[in-house]
Amino acid sequence: MSKRQLAMVMDLNKCIGCQTCTVACKTQWTNRNGREYMYWNNVETYPGTGYPKNWMDLGGGFDAAGDLQPGVIPNLESDYGVPWDYNYDALAGGASFEPNVEPTWGPNWDEDEGEGIFPQDNYFFYLPRICNHCTNPGCLSACPRDAIFKREEDGVVLVDLDRCQGYRYCIAGCPYKKIYFNPKISKSEKCILCFPRVEQGLPPACAQQCVGRIRFVGFLDDEESQVYKLVHKYKVALGLRSDYGTQPNVYYVPPTESPVKFDANGKIIEGSDRIPVAELEKLFGPEVHDAIKTLKSEMAKRKETGESELMDLLIAYQHADMFRLDNTYYQQVAKEKGLNPLAPVDTRYIAGKYTKTGHSMNFTHAAEPTAGGHH
Amino acid sequence: MKTIATTLLMSALASTTLFGAGAAVNALKVSNDINTISYASALWNKATFSPVFLYPQTTIRMNDKKANEMNAHNHAKKAMVAAVYNDHNIAFMIRWPDATINVQKGESTTTYADGFAVQFASRVDDPNKLPYIGMGSQGRPVVVHLQKVAKDIYEPDGHGEVAYQVNRNQTDLFGKALQAFDKKVQSLGSSDYERSFISEGFRSMTEIKDGSNNSYARIRYLKKDHAWEGTLTRALKDEYVNLNAPAIPVAFAVWDGEKMGRDGLKHLSAWVSVKLQGKQGGEALISALDGTLVGDPKAGKRAVAANGCAGCHQMTAEDAPNILGPSLRNIGGYSTAGYLKESLLNPSAAIVPGYNRNAHSAYPWYTVNNGKRVSAMTDYSWLDQKTQNDIVAYLQTLKAEVK
Repeated sequence: MSKRQLAMVMDLNKCIGCQTCTVACKTQWTNRNGREYMYWNNVETYPGTGYPKNWMDLGGGFDAAGDLQPGVIPNLESDYGVPWDYNYDALAGGASFEPNVEPTWGPNWDEDEGEGIFPQDNYFFYLPRICNHCTNPGCLSACPRDAIFKREEDGVVLVDLDRCQGYRYCIAGCPYKKIYFNPKISKSEKCILCFPRVEQGLPPACAQQCVGRIRFVGFLDDEESQVYKLVHKYKVALGLRSDYGTQPNVYYVPPTESPVKFDANGKIIEGSDRIPVAELEKLFGPEVHDAIKTLKSEMAKRKETGESELMDLLIAYQHADMFRLDNTYYQQVAKEKGLNPLAPVDTRYIAGKYTKTGHSMNFTHAAEPTAGGHH
Repeated sequence: MKTIATTLLMSALASTTLFGAGAAVNALKVSNDINTISYASALWNKATFSPVFLYPQTTIRMNDKKANEMNAHNHAKKAMVAAVYNDHNIAFMIRWPDATINVQKGESTTTYADGFAVQFASRVDDPNKLPYIGMGSQGRPVVVHLQKVAKDIYEPDGHGEVAYQVNRNQTDLFGKALQAFDKKVQSLGSSDYERSFISEGFRSMTEIKDGSNNSYARIRYLKKDHAWEGTLTRALKDEYVNLNAPAIPVAFAVWDGEKMGRDGLKHLSAWVSVKLQGKQGGEALISALDGTLVGDPKAGKRAVAANGCAGCHQMTAEDAPNILGPSLRNIGGYSTAGYLKESLLNPSAAIVPGYNRNAHSAYPWYTVNNGKRVSAMTDYSWLDQKTQNDIVAYLQTLKAEVK
């Protein structure tokens, strides 16, 4: 476990599935050099196939005894979908508008399909997903090269590309399939929680750009942070599939506000809820019942009294109300370790025992080896 | 040359008995420059090819479900190995059967490359206490040279040319300038996947990137023979290893991309002795690695049953996989008698960390005490000499059939 932990809370009641987060992430990190197919941030429709296809059935994570479970590595063609582009250049020469590869699947292929019968009881909601920066990461546990590490200062899980050998066990080990293989550099890559932004006190690109203002970012040990209040004080934000045993640090406010159902005659069924609670329980665990109760009662309280800290939090009147980051903290950490404040802070393998040149000149000599790790 | 090599491949054990010094492989002294020797060199016609058996690595089970299914019933492979050396360098050629060509082409998330590795021990003071095979062990590092069949692998930082890391659509280039950009990006890829590593125990393997370890490896596929042929040449002595000795321990590993081979999913040999012809000595190492055994495997099997070894270790392929300790079902294939005995008497001497402690938190194979790994296994030094030798003899019989 890291000394501190950054966390993100996503309010699913507010997500409109606009994919602005996806685009913000893609243009920043994954539109080039073998990352084209990767979506470090994706928004999938639930219920749906998800991205990669059926990721919940692909194994990984831990069993009750704490043992890493075997998993399957998704295939680019059939599970992620090969990204395609169009022949814009050729259009001027009179060519017809064609994709360069036959599109067969993509990250939002089954968007807005959902389940149920229209108009009686059909339903869906959006589930934005990034790396969960788990406290007990499946990817880290699976790596035979100790190439994945969790930063002490904020719990961000990163791949040391210098150590990564492209074995892909991490992908099998991650139950969320949020770590990807870059075939061009033959190494694994994943969401970095925009640590270069976070270290400057800025929220990750996906959160910064979110139109629905659904994403709260801060430190879990900071009692003034929105994430602390939502996760620990009100307990309305819950981890996704916590049963995988990785202790995820991205939390979700479950979608409680869905329209009522209609009966066979098109009449409103009073008090009904389109999204089955059983589905929410599957995603967010049995704690979802208490979270729903709290959300409903706070909403009622707000209606009656006009007061509710929780509702104020979730509304996020100002953009800045969603984030509590701290660039002075990072500067402090860098100063203590004698590093450039902009450098990613991992000192384990730098200027190692056997490699005279490290992979960044900003690093100083390796710290004491951690137990069971590199020697 | 091809025909000669093929004949040698057929003639199996004959060549070792021919030279008879007892070493598994005999390195021929040559006066030629072998700095960049490849499979095409005529020197290999003069060298002697000896069989080296490669066993499926089953000590540690990886967490790739599909790969585990594909590799559940692997047989051992027979490779043919030859070596030549001069005053500065030593070169090895290994030929091993592989029915298919598997190249990692940089397009797919699920293709894996064929390849081979040659491993050297950095300390050989006691031939009975060599580094743990594969990843080395604490205080006993190994150097591994790896050659994989990969095409156009890029460095994550584009060899420092960060400007060429941007998406082509986001450059302000068009027409010929954009074509030049694409060409430059293409040129930053490397079609040779040759790497050197140093490792001092599982999870500690680190690539040597500072050029302090020079080597030259080549690989080609022989379609007619359905076999790969790889060569590696390296300095006899550098700051990591000193191979300028009468006899040296060397180990070989091969990967089959068709079966999703990479990392631990491989076939590997035990430490085999390589005799540098013309140099006097080295008998202790040769007999430690290739000497005959004194123990009685049948009695050893009974002792193993009596001492409850199977409580933690999987002994044969028929036994259920046991996660409490390393699987021993191929241990006879890639372990020396010295290693087996040392592990029996002093289990903490060379620990296979196996499952990451995070990955297997309820039953760790070892604990860490003051930075030193302490095995969870009971030490069996209280057994009498004969029983110890019998157990080692039995463990040496645990290995897959050669096919």
